Amino acid sequence: MFERRLYHHIDWVLIGSILAICAMGLGMIYSTTGGASRIYWTQVYALGLGLVAMAVTLSIDYRSLADKSHWIYLAMMILLVGVLFFGSVRGGSRRWIDLGFFNLQPSEFAKAVLALTLAKMLGEERRPALTNNDLFIAASLTAVPFLIIARQPDLGTAVTLLPILLVVAYVAGMPMKYIYAMTIVAVLAAPVAYKFGLQDYQRERISTFLDPAQDPKGAGYQQIQARITVGSGGTWGKGFMQGTQGQLRFLPVAHNDFIFSVLAEEQGLIGVLVALGLYFFVIMRALDAARLAKDRLGAYLVLGVLSAFTFQVIYNITMSAGLAPVKGLTLPLMSYGGSSMIATLASFGLVLNVRMRRFTN
Amino acid sequence: MAIAEDRRRLTHRLTVLRVTIGVAFVMLACGFWFFQVVQHAQFKEMAENNHQRTLTLRAPRGIIYDRAGKLLVENRNSFNISIVREHTKDLDHTIRVLARVAGVEESFVREVVDRHRREPSYRPIVVIQDATLAQVASVSARKLDFELPDVLVQEVPTRQYLDQMAAHVFGYVSEASDKDVAEDESLKSGDIVGKSGLEKIYNELLMGADGAKRVVVNSMGREIRVLDEEPPAQGKRLQLTLDFDLQKALEDGFRTSGYNGASVILDPRTGEVLAFSSVPAYDPNAFSTGIDSASWNSLNTDPLRPLQDRAIQGRYPAGSTFKMAVAAAALEEGVITPDFKVYCPGHGVFYGRSFACSLPNGRGHGVMDLRHAIEHSCNVYFYTVGNMVGIDKIHKWATLLGLGEKTGIDLPNEVQGLVPSPEWKRANTKNHEKWYAGETISVSIGQGAVALTPISEAVYIAALANGGTRVTPHLLRAVDEGGGWQPFTPPAAKSVVALKPETIQAIHDGLWLVVNGVGTGARARMAGYDVSGKTGTAQVISNEGAKAAKGKTDKDLRDNGWFVFFAPRDNPEIAGAVMVEHGGHGGVTAAPIARHVLDTYFAKRDNRPLPAPPIKVGDTIGPAVAIPPAPVKAVAGGAGTPQ
Repeated sequence: MFERRLYHHIDWVLIGSILAICAMGLGMIYSTTGGASRIYWTQVYALGLGLVAMAVTLSIDYRSLADKSHWIYLAMMILLVGVLFFGSVRGGSRRWIDLGFFNLQPSEFAKAVLALTLAKMLGEERRPALTNNDLFIAASLTAVPFLIIARQPDLGTAVTLLPILLVVAYVAGMPMKYIYAMTIVAVLAAPVAYKFGLQDYQRERISTFLDPAQDPKGAGYQQIQARITVGSGGTWGKGFMQGTQGQLRFLPVAHNDFIFSVLAEEQGLIGVLVALGLYFFVIMRALDAARLAKDRLGAYLVLGVLSAFTFQVIYNITMSAGLAPVKGLTLPLMSYGGSSMIATLASFGLVLNVRMRRFTN
Repeated sequence: MAIAEDRRRLTHRLTVLRVTIGVAFVMLACGFWFFQVVQHAQFKEMAENNHQRTLTLRAPRGIIYDRAGKLLVENRNSFNISIVREHTKDLDHTIRVLARVAGVEESFVREVVDRHRREPSYRPIVVIQDATLAQVASVSARKLDFELPDVLVQEVPTRQYLDQMAAHVFGYVSEASDKDVAEDESLKSGDIVGKSGLEKIYNELLMGADGAKRVVVNSMGREIRVLDEEPPAQGKRLQLTLDFDLQKALEDGFRTSGYNGASVILDPRTGEVLAFSSVPAYDPNAFSTGIDSASWNSLNTDPLRPLQDRAIQGRYPAGSTFKMAVAAAALEEGVITPDFKVYCPGHGVFYGRSFACSLPNGRGHGVMDLRHAIEHSCNVYFYTVGNMVGIDKIHKWATLLGLGEKTGIDLPNEVQGLVPSPEWKRANTKNHEKWYAGETISVSIGQGAVALTPISEAVYIAALANGGTRVTPHLLRAVDEGGGWQPFTPPAAKSVVALKPETIQAIHDGLWLVVNGVGTGARARMAGYDVSGKTGTAQVISNEGAKAAKGKTDKDLRDNGWFVFFAPRDNPEIAGAVMVEHGGHGGVTAAPIARHVLDTYFAKRDNRPLPAPPIKVGDTIGPAVAIPPAPVKAVAGGAGTPQ
């Protein structure tokens, strides 16, 4: 299955950039958790496991995987439903499966599975053009995991599934009129949804986002603190382990959701630009894999995986600067979190897989 | 064909995605640049406010000593428990938990917080002053549990007085009011300032300068480390002219008598105040830790007015103590000589009205010269002389001797007494009434409109003792500004009149006879010390008024008793005035208090053991050890001679 010559087509530059981001993340986790803590070592092990997972997803031809995608999808759905019944509860939501040594979060893997399923479905060579029927099926395939994950509840992760559907459908030739229509409906529906569709606490969150000062001690607190953390870093930063906001816990979950704020505080604008540059490079390089892909399946698979990743990166960094409502979305490759790390590296294994096999038949 | 078109569309849409992502990243970079470069200074300050707290270290006030270096007022350490609203996420919750943990009413905590609502939120609001150790322990434990991260426990110096002793001299301290802060820009809210007494007059010396400590705290409000610390500078040390033992003797005297009143004892040569008392007093310690409103209200509504400093703010008819001023006026103006004699039949008729003398049942003193008129406190003699001298000259000499004037003592809010004059009457009556000669008769024995503060009586008797120098009474003796004790320059005398030697001699003789002859001041007699003095008994209310007064006990209507004195007769070292409210005859109630002070003074001077506090004997007080009655006349002949 793994031919020797393929080895020479592995995108080492992409792997190197990904590892550079992981290294920055490890450094920040080390800093915010006060040294080589248990959390830090967990992340190191997760990185190792993730690289193994990457090797696995890279080795198996993506076309073989795609052929089994309906089974994989089915297995994934069963797992997600299983979590709803047998998962362990933390922080009020049921997301994890306790494996004893490790808490697995299946929803992290659902993104890659959905990307694979949609790529297979929309990228089938024999389909000449995207039909409404195709779109309906794709939307349904997305809706099932979306609803299950939203039930956990984990709206943040559920929402990351939507960019997969949108981007894959978009490149698969979804007519532009749908996109315009969706935009118009979204704009018109937003006030109605705000008024009738949201719970009080959700409305409060949004209005707090628009004016955090109205509730500086409650919901607006994290947002204000995030801006203070970022802004106080300045150009050069306060120095490694010298941040006050993260170190003294003014910013909650600093090693997790707000790790980028801590990076901005301790490494300054310089560190921010380096990290943003690395992420941008990784995304562009991966997009290149989509362009170079041998078939539509490969291109869609890359784009599906990448859209969830990109959405999460941009949203988390925006939130880190206090510019988006606080939502429990981690920063892939940097934030603490084993499942996220393994799932992200595994999905980049798929990207490498597609690029590596661009010359094979 | 289809593949190629498909490929083209893919490439096109990939480019759109690329551009979209590129724009998003550029916007993110701009956002970070805006926060981290453009608004950096502002956010840097906010971050520092987050984790740096500046704690005020309250300066201990200056310590106060008596003239011999005995400690009178010091500071003790107490604990304040405060809320820092800046760090409070849920003020209601904090108030609730704090009230429960400290065992105080929630409404009380809320009221305190409300009162300080307009202050900057970084300034701690002191909720509990002088917290008990149990309160400190339970609040600190909750702090460690992160339950009360926004509550601060601070050790602060707190003023400590000797219970009620000399309360009106020291005054009291409390937190500066909004008005204080508005008027004095060196003050800040929360400062402890003197509100009355010496604490107020010498506040600037006593206050010191607060220090500050900058600490790093984490989000739970726990101190991580100290950044820098500027220690507080303690207020200046003051040494007073007061003598602790005399002060104690004076207060013991009043306590034993059971009467209210006031007294000032001073050194007639310098004006140094040796003892100063106003009874009833209050406990200044109650103010140091923030007096509660119930205690404050009861102090203010108490009909006995314990907050009033009777020695400088109470005005009382002078009674017979005024007679020496009439004598001095008559002698100095050359109206009479000391040998001028008047026959006293028990009353005198002036301007068609009969004025009674001092003896009961209308008995008379017979023929009196000045010395004996003072000794017997003969009213008829002074009616006659006063009538001869006239109100203008009486007013002139009383004023020269300090009566009806402010003494200028270093205490706040001294009031002026009154020695009436025709000008005063014209200015203060509705129809600008003129002075009636008959009024002079009442004034001659210290009645009528005469109203004097005990301290002005003390200055007056001191001026008579020292020959006419109206000393300025003062309490401050020395200040230590850091380089050792620097003597305080005593204030200059208010006025100096050189009384003629025969005036001084005659008055001193008379005053000596009051105590050592058959006079009314016998209870102040001390063998060998030539105590000289004059009693006074002043009507509180006219006889007609007494009938009209209702709801008052007899005691409220009893006369005020005075005793003014100096000793020894020649070269006096100590002088003073004792006023006993509703004490009846001054010789009975006021003189024994003075005697105990004098006894203590001379015992101290002559290195004898100090006398024990006096004891109550009937309606009067006497020395602890009863002295055998002095023989009325030297017994002639042998010891065994039968009488």
